[in-house]
Amino acid sequence: MSPDAAPLLHVDGVVKRFGGFRALDNLSFAIGRGEILGLVGPNGSGKTTCINVISGLYPPDSGNIRFEGRPIGGLPSHRLVHAGINRTFQVPRPFLSLTVRQNVEIALAYGGGRDGAADGDAILASLELAAFADKPAGEINSAQQKMLDLARALATRPQLLLVDELAAGLNPAELERVAAKMKELARSGIALLVVEHLMGFIDQITDRIIVMNAGKEIFEGRLAEAARNAQVVEVFLGDEHAA
Amino acid sequence: MFTYSLLAGLLFGLYFSLIGLGLNLVFGVMRIVNLAHGDFLMLGAFLAFWLFSLFAINPVPAVVIAFVGFAIAGVPIYYLLVPRLLRAKDPEMLSFILFFGLAQVIEAVTTIAFGTSERSIPGNQLGQAIATVESLFTGHAVEGGPVEIFGQTFPASWVASGIASGCAVLLVYVYLYQTRLGYLTRAVMDNREEAVAAGIDVHRVSAIAFGIGLGLAAVAGVFAPFMLGSITPAMGAEITITAFAVIVIGSLGNPLGTVLGGVIYGVGYMLMQSYFSSWANLLPYVLLIAILLVRPSGLLGRRVRRA
Amino acid sequence: MPKIARDLLLILLPVIAAFAVLPAIYSNHLLLFNFIIAMTLAQGLNIIYGFTGYLPFGYVGFFGAGAYGFSLAVIHLHAPPLVALAAGAAAAVAFALLLTPLFRLSGAYFSIANLAAALAMLQVVSNPNLESITKGPYGISLNGVFNPTFAYGTALATLAATLGLVIYLRYSHFGMALRAIREDPISAGMAGINVVRERIIAWLLSALVAGLAGGVFAWYVSVFYPETVFSVEFTIFSIVFVLFGGSATVLGPILGVIVLYGIYNAVGISTPQYFQLIYGALIMGLVLFLPNGLISLLQRRGIDVP
Repeated sequence: MSPDAAPLLHVDGVVKRFGGFRALDNLSFAIGRGEILGLVGPNGSGKTTCINVISGLYPPDSGNIRFEGRPIGGLPSHRLVHAGINRTFQVPRPFLSLTVRQNVEIALAYGGGRDGAADGDAILASLELAAFADKPAGEINSAQQKMLDLARALATRPQLLLVDELAAGLNPAELERVAAKMKELARSGIALLVVEHLMGFIDQITDRIIVMNAGKEIFEGRLAEAARNAQVVEVFLGDEHAA
Repeated sequence: MFTYSLLAGLLFGLYFSLIGLGLNLVFGVMRIVNLAHGDFLMLGAFLAFWLFSLFAINPVPAVVIAFVGFAIAGVPIYYLLVPRLLRAKDPEMLSFILFFGLAQVIEAVTTIAFGTSERSIPGNQLGQAIATVESLFTGHAVEGGPVEIFGQTFPASWVASGIASGCAVLLVYVYLYQTRLGYLTRAVMDNREEAVAAGIDVHRVSAIAFGIGLGLAAVAGVFAPFMLGSITPAMGAEITITAFAVIVIGSLGNPLGTVLGGVIYGVGYMLMQSYFSSWANLLPYVLLIAILLVRPSGLLGRRVRRA
Repeated sequence: MPKIARDLLLILLPVIAAFAVLPAIYSNHLLLFNFIIAMTLAQGLNIIYGFTGYLPFGYVGFFGAGAYGFSLAVIHLHAPPLVALAAGAAAAVAFALLLTPLFRLSGAYFSIANLAAALAMLQVVSNPNLESITKGPYGISLNGVFNPTFAYGTALATLAATLGLVIYLRYSHFGMALRAIREDPISAGMAGINVVRERIIAWLLSALVAGLAGGVFAWYVSVFYPETVFSVEFTIFSIVFVLFGGSATVLGPILGVIVLYGIYNAVGISTPQYFQLIYGALIMGLVLFLPNGLISLLQRRGIDVP
């Protein structure tokens, strides 16, 4: 699972400001095909903003983002979806007025990637949603809505999947299934950027991680080494523990 | 003619700042555009008219009566309409439609009650009041009548209205920045959710702000017969749009911005009247659309709402 | 049978058939014509409000644009009625295109800006300086095209086309995409939907419907004042019918028109003030107690209303 020679996604010196506040402060990193990169950091460090910028919700104020070698900063979300990028939302956002199947159907119809349409029913089945296919999306529970969110993203056949805190609220069995799913996606060549708070989950699925704080990247490497890094410990636990 | 347009525009614009002030306060606090604002103004105008015709009450005390009366009425109206709305999925749109309906109801009831004919109050009424105040200050009797500024003459009522508008802006400013309630109001204006989390009784603050907003509309209504000529029940709609244009130009939520917006509108309108009179009616609409498209956050640049 | 076919058979056909046959039995043809126009406009508003959530308070602007487009084509170009109708529709769509930048604004701003645009249009059209082109405040009087039968038939065709369009939207991916956009534009973007483009298409379709209705109206009456075709009453009616019946469905606006417009005419509210009072109160009541319309009473029970 080592990264390709040329990275699939290259984030280079990206800055994103909200008023006077720098949510992303010269952030740089890269992800290769088939790699699972973890993104961790305390609350407010900019992890979700990072995903928001890469997936087209906000344009970056400066810096470059390159996907498959092409610059994508500032492109609208639907263009990025067609190019092969998708994401899940921290709080899932299914279309409540549509049924579960229709949620996937719409992504198939509008976001179908260059490799042709995916198989909607297969995606639903693999995420244990097949039984609820004809129910309105508002009637399934929140863990299922998270899976539906993921299904919607997968229906567009992304090459890069940005996962925003999927593990929260899942029971151990569900966590196992999701972890297996993530690894399966990576094996098929999809790159994943996984934002998480649950370190166990991160440890299970990622090859390497990036630790963020205050919009900057402060560590890159393996999770085990991160736990020994003084700055990382300080950022998470405060000064007293750093020594 | 140019000087006259400029100065008249200033006075006229200050009046529209007064009109916009109440709307701005309500929007800033509740994020609701009160489409019935112009109709409340119309009610205030009719109140002044009836107070004068039936009880010979001079417009100046009528201002106080109007403000207090409408401010007090505003609180129950708020509680009746708004809390229900805020629970819905799309409160902004629904409240918009709701107040639109309210505007229709107010206009219809007033038309049924008073008929469509135009009413007016003699201009010298306000002039008398100014003369009285002036003579108190200067110590000798002063005649009511037109006032001279920079060589141009204006009806005393316009000057009175300008002074009143200035006072109203000042009072709102003092309320927001010098009183505890105003401080809470600003907190709600900044971030409603956080205000709730901080334990502020957001509904109470909003209801009071709503009442003040209506009160200000009524006060503007008292001056309407003098500034706008005659009053009819149908006058509300166009006033609401103009008021909206004024507050958007000046940036929503910012009282000083409303003054700026009002003055810009007033001067623009007077200039149009002097040089392109038949197109002057287009001005509020064109201004509104232009500013919403070019600079939706207004000239003082705060709080833009994007889809 | 597929839902589209079912709706075409059970909804569109009976409605059109009814209005085609009624003139033979019921002599007040103007009233029937007004019903058709009301239904067309309500569905047109349904397209933009029900499916995208934007409420154009100046919807009547497209109706008026259609009426004036038709009239100017007849007066200045001596165009035959159907060509003039196309001109009217084109005028409405052009006006809508002009207003597309308004979509950058959020809901309420959009509504009020749209209202301002319609009022501005009225001012322009009735300006005495433009009398040679638009006849100014004196109104339009068309010679040579007065043909109520043909006009009625065209109105009926327009209604049929509009109903067909709404039925299509109800079941197609395009309609689904619009509802997704209405609910959550960000999530819709991540489903690959070009939010801006789809919204604009719905907007133009909605304007087209109103423009055709306006053109046909001008044709049928042949004499009108600017205030008639830019009257806020049309917008109020449309909003109330859609709110009352329920949006984003085919049946909702039809129900709204039949019940409310029917009552309006049956009771014979002659004074405009009483209309305004009742409809204003109705709007308030609906918003406060039944924001999703009559249809929502059925939908709450899980019935999927067409």
